[in-house]
Amino acid sequence: MTETPEKVAGVEVGQRRISIPGFTEEGENLAAETNSAADHSHGGLGKPKEVTAGAGSRANRHTGFDLAHFPEPTGREEEWRFTPLKKLAGVLSDTPTQGAGTDQEAVNYQVSGTVEGVEVSSLGHGDAPRGDVLQPADRAAVVGYRNAERALHLKVTQNTEVAEPIRVDITGRAAGARANGHIVIEAEPHSRAVVVLEHRGSADFNGNVEVKVGDGATVSLISLQRWEDDAVHVGQHDAEVGKDATYKHVAVTLGGSTVRLNTNFRYAAEGATAQMYGLYFADAGQHIEHRTFVDHNSPRNSSDVLYKGALQGATARSVWVGDVLIRKEAEGTDSYEKNQNLVLTDGARADSVPNLEIETGLIEGAGHASSTGRFDDNHLFYLMSRGIPEDIARQLVVRGFLNEIVQKIEVPSIRESLADDLERELRISGH
Amino acid sequence: MTEQIARAEEVLRHTEDPSVIQKVLDDNPELKGLGTYEYGWADSDTAGAAARRGIDTSVVEDISSKKSEPEWMLKLRKKGLRYFERKPQPTWGADLSDIDFDNIKYFVRSTEKQAQTWEDLPEDIRNTYEKLGIPEAERERLVSGVAAQYESEVVYHQIREDLEEQGVIFMDTDTALKEHPEFFEEYFGSVIPVGDNKFAALNTAVWSGGSFVYVPKGVHVEIPLQAYFRINTENMGQFERTLIIADEDSYVHYIEGCTAPIYNTDSLHSAVVEIIVKKNARVRYTTIQNWSTNVYNLVTKRAVVDAGGTMEWIDGNIGSKVTMKYPAVYLTGEHAKGETLSVAFAGAGQHQDTGSKMVHMAPNTSSSIVSKSVARSGGRASYRGLVQINPEAKGSANSVVCDALLVDTISKTDTYPYIDIREDDVTLGHEATVSKVSEDQLFYLMSRGLAEDEAMAMIVRGFIEPIARELPMEYALELNRLIELQMEGSVG
Repeated sequence: MTETPEKVAGVEVGQRRISIPGFTEEGENLAAETNSAADHSHGGLGKPKEVTAGAGSRANRHTGFDLAHFPEPTGREEEWRFTPLKKLAGVLSDTPTQGAGTDQEAVNYQVSGTVEGVEVSSLGHGDAPRGDVLQPADRAAVVGYRNAERALHLKVTQNTEVAEPIRVDITGRAAGARANGHIVIEAEPHSRAVVVLEHRGSADFNGNVEVKVGDGATVSLISLQRWEDDAVHVGQHDAEVGKDATYKHVAVTLGGSTVRLNTNFRYAAEGATAQMYGLYFADAGQHIEHRTFVDHNSPRNSSDVLYKGALQGATARSVWVGDVLIRKEAEGTDSYEKNQNLVLTDGARADSVPNLEIETGLIEGAGHASSTGRFDDNHLFYLMSRGIPEDIARQLVVRGFLNEIVQKIEVPSIRESLADDLERELRISGH
Repeated sequence: MTEQIARAEEVLRHTEDPSVIQKVLDDNPELKGLGTYEYGWADSDTAGAAARRGIDTSVVEDISSKKSEPEWMLKLRKKGLRYFERKPQPTWGADLSDIDFDNIKYFVRSTEKQAQTWEDLPEDIRNTYEKLGIPEAERERLVSGVAAQYESEVVYHQIREDLEEQGVIFMDTDTALKEHPEFFEEYFGSVIPVGDNKFAALNTAVWSGGSFVYVPKGVHVEIPLQAYFRINTENMGQFERTLIIADEDSYVHYIEGCTAPIYNTDSLHSAVVEIIVKKNARVRYTTIQNWSTNVYNLVTKRAVVDAGGTMEWIDGNIGSKVTMKYPAVYLTGEHAKGETLSVAFAGAGQHQDTGSKMVHMAPNTSSSIVSKSVARSGGRASYRGLVQINPEAKGSANSVVCDALLVDTISKTDTYPYIDIREDDVTLGHEATVSKVSEDQLFYLMSRGLAEDEAMAMIVRGFIEPIARELPMEYALELNRLIELQMEGSVG
């Protein structure tokens, strides 16, 4: 575009005056906006993004096991635009588990708490029901699926009620050591179980989980991310919820340098209740990303999504993207989703994107809500006026805020240990 | 009722097949005349018939020379054309693949001279505006200024003398460029730059008509200014360009309405509206868009607000085939405020992809978006919004509420609320609900003696009441009447 420079009112014609700071002749300079979320840039003028939300319906998003369908992300893709891809280079590459088959595997699995009626085995590629429920929706999930040689299979047989939680401890041995994990949980009809996945240590962990909840079964899956500060974790947790079944997924993310969990629900029939809860606490340098998707693909089911997070430290970052799709056939659906963030210190950033697509009018109700805010100074003032010192008052407010999720966890020992964790986190903040 | 719904669904499933509709209408004569578009007449059309289709440099040069514009405007137009050719069509939002840019008439001059009285207008055009009730509103002093755009140019324009004496400028953009070039040199294209997006670039290349408003410091225009946009020619592209400057401590309310005849092939309306709200000024911009359902309505509207200023968008989308419109407010000064109230109706064959964008660039700015949409008869209503809070915008607050009402089983609604926060000292809230009109609600009202479609219309009116009450009374009444028309026939 070469223009003869000509001045009008002291401004070159080719360079019209601009009333909005940061604008160019092409408005918001979108080309410069490449994965800005990833570089943690907080200085300077933020360039507004074009409203490209929901470029395509969630119903049309590709899923499958073919790696060729999922090229290396550039950061411009809708589903990767918030994620620090540099840190995920390891877990997105098509690489096998380090030390696979030796006793020095990158990650150690320990299963405990199983009783009669719970069968533990392992599944190779092609062994049913591995891959029945999981529908890889991004490159990470396909890479993890291909490279996890054996999948841990937990089966709760029909009518079995397991009183104590079944625990799977997943412990990473070294930072940067690559591990691919796959867990298949099968709850047969009318069974009842609580499964706890606890992630600790350091690793580059790519873990898929699939849960088949049989008709009338009641299953809770609690996934605790208590990684060391240098761990990287990506994972897809899929569930198919059977007729009149109840399923609850709780994600608690406290540790790790970068954690990105995609949790997806769909239904096998009618009458089911599915709940997705999450709690996260992001400190300086942490990126915690949760993506949730409830696919109301059949009639008369209900879903409830609630994620709550606190952030502290200059580069603390959280992302929540919650999709709910109510398909044409899903009449009588009742659905709600909510995300709330509490930003404790300057410089932390929370992104919250609730998307709701509804294709039928015959629903019971659907709604979503999102809020991001700082401390309510009025709360603080109220507590301080009652003689509570400021630091204690702040802790009380945060604890009260996050407690709503802690209370959803039915295992008392986890509730107690979480209370300790949160207290420790709050001490770091120095308030 | 179930049977009636089934019948209506059957019609809608085959709406592309006129014989099916005809059969249903023959079987059910009571359906005739329900929910018909009232503004669908077409005037005789010699100017439009002769107009050239397609776009290239010569079209742009021709428009510019007919208007005897300054050289810099022609250069800007040509630059706009180059950006239009280069920029890709948006791949998100509504389906735009059927727009045939080569078939559109980019400039239609319907009358040689702008009229000062309605009587001076050609009879056809005058009748059109009489039918739309514009001269009547002016006679009754419901508005303090009127501009009527027919095809590409403003054919009638009037402003109350007392406002003129206070220095208020309200005229069509073509004339304003000649008479007040200093404003254009400073502000034209400064809020929506030449290459902002494909359709803004197209508008910059071929713009014609629109309104220019300047309100001097401290002047309050108490009664709204009214603009009326009418497309008459088939395959017409209307590209009006509006620039509003509210100087410090001033206030103005600008209202626009839009209609077009019904044709079998599509027309394009692609306007650009730039608004400058200076310190402590307040601008309210109300749109009641009721294009016929063969019009693509792809509009870029943006305001920049200085310290203490307020921008309010009231955006009613009732007509058009496809609307993509997200009025934006850039809050550049401390304590600036932005507000959008948006209401959309999507009927058969319509996709209303609307919302708003709020960008907080200074401390203690606040914004709110309230969106209400009603989808019926297979229409689709999408809320798409962005709230962005930049790092320096401490103490900012935003709230977004979007409610959708579905009145049948074949319509669709989506919400895509994007929020991008780069500052932690902020308060944000977003809430959305989707509800259906329940049998219980209908039964209750019908048991009180209301007919079913009256009951339905009453429920819908209650739903959008928070927005209707922000309109001047005569517009609120008009909106309610349109809802009744819209809802008639929707329940069989």
